[in-house]
Amino acid sequence: MGESQSIWVKLGAVDKRILYWILFISLAIPYIRPIGLPVSIAETSYALYNFIEKLGPNDVVVMAIEFGVSAWSECLPGFVAVSKHLVMRGVKIIYWCVGYTDCDLTMEAVMARIPQLKGPGQPAGPGDYKYGVDWVYMGYIAGGETTVAQLADDIRQVLRADKYGTPIDQIPLFQNVRNAKDIKIVIDSTTGDYGDYYVRQWRIRYGTAVAEIGIAMNYSTFMAYYQAGLAVGALKGIRGAAEYEKLIGQLGEATTSLDALNVSHLLVIIAIIMANLSYVMTRRRGGG
Amino acid sequence: MPYPTNPADIIGAWVGAFLTLAIYSYILYKETRVYRLAEYIYVGIAFAVSLTISVQQIWNQIIVRILGGQYIYIIGVILGLMLLTLPFKSIRWISRYPVIFLMGLGFGVTIRGALTANIVGQIRGSITPPGATATMLDWFNFAWICLGTLLIISYFTFTVEHTGWYYYPTKLGRYILLLGLGAYYGNTVQFRMTMLAGRVQYLLQVFKIIPWP
Repeated sequence: MGESQSIWVKLGAVDKRILYWILFISLAIPYIRPIGLPVSIAETSYALYNFIEKLGPNDVVVMAIEFGVSAWSECLPGFVAVSKHLVMRGVKIIYWCVGYTDCDLTMEAVMARIPQLKGPGQPAGPGDYKYGVDWVYMGYIAGGETTVAQLADDIRQVLRADKYGTPIDQIPLFQNVRNAKDIKIVIDSTTGDYGDYYVRQWRIRYGTAVAEIGIAMNYSTFMAYYQAGLAVGALKGIRGAAEYEKLIGQLGEATTSLDALNVSHLLVIIAIIMANLSYVMTRRRGGG
Repeated sequence: MPYPTNPADIIGAWVGAFLTLAIYSYILYKETRVYRLAEYIYVGIAFAVSLTISVQQIWNQIIVRILGGQYIYIIGVILGLMLLTLPFKSIRWISRYPVIFLMGLGFGVTIRGALTANIVGQIRGSITPPGATATMLDWFNFAWICLGTLLIISYFTFTVEHTGWYYYPTKLGRYILLLGLGAYYGNTVQFRMTMLAGRVQYLLQVFKIIPWP
């Protein structure tokens, strides 16, 4: 009796560093030997996919990089998957960022993962995205929601040139783009509440469609906009990214990472069960 | 993509791996000098990047425009300089004016869309029944959201005492609120785990155990 009681007490008082080590090592295993657990697709991911499927080469889309390097593991795979889909559809893309000052690094990472996106001065072959014509990168723009509102009113009021200093009037992509009315959809990838800014300033005031590739913890709050018909879709972190990779038929980083995520969740569930068992058993036997 | 071949990129990758391990040494072992070094490097670099970008922004968005004859932007510069009086006790009052200006501006910009997006849109979304093609699950979700919203609102109604018959809806509302917060917490755990998984993946890539992305 005494011995078994001490097991429950020990279980509840296990050094958390042991749990972290188990977690750290367990996360590595699925990357080395992928498990390939099935991925079901959420309604919000389908909705975004279906919306983009209806777009074509005459449409212009804004991809807002509202996440920093620290959130690459959560946001970048989804951002890349959606960008790939836009490239497959031939849609023109404007990349910009009003949230994080390190977005240049993110843009480099996107370009490295989508070889069709040719940078300024790079030759573009058939099927490639020519810089300035098919896509453009505006860099970081300070000002938060005020800037988002101004961009909706008149992009030229805020931006005089792209990231590389080319005046906006000399960029062919901007020939027919002046404000939010000329943009089919803003797809905002965020770790914060930048999605709210675009809903308030672009969707409500100009009717521009808005979607989010957010971190998992933002999904439940953004869902309220989807439910209310104010957003056309959303991807839930790495899980949503894996769903999108499946939808476009290009399995990638997110699909691999999802296995690791599943393992981590399993460990968390086991830890919760063990801790609760220890708590209940210790109390029942008068140990706590 | 192939593993970096450029010496600078290789060094960068290994420094990244070292700093990752240094930061995680805090939870995997204990706080050490290596951890502190990594922490200070992180804070220093983050500050340096932000400062550089901010200076670039001020130059491109403000100074160039003023030099180009758009003198209205001088007002922004003056307001910005007024903010810098904050550390000096005797003239601190000056910094209150730009703060008030920023608050008013922020409120004015936000309120335009907030009423529709955050209040009217949410009410409409909560009480609009699903369409003709709706499944049983859609109807269940609709009923759950409607009822849940009403019960949670009842919990936050403080003008009526939560006693008698009114006790039960407020209690139920509280439980539904806790369920919502639980789901939110679950999503938070997912986000943190993904960040950790991303770092583990990075280490495996640097150590050439799995291919470079």
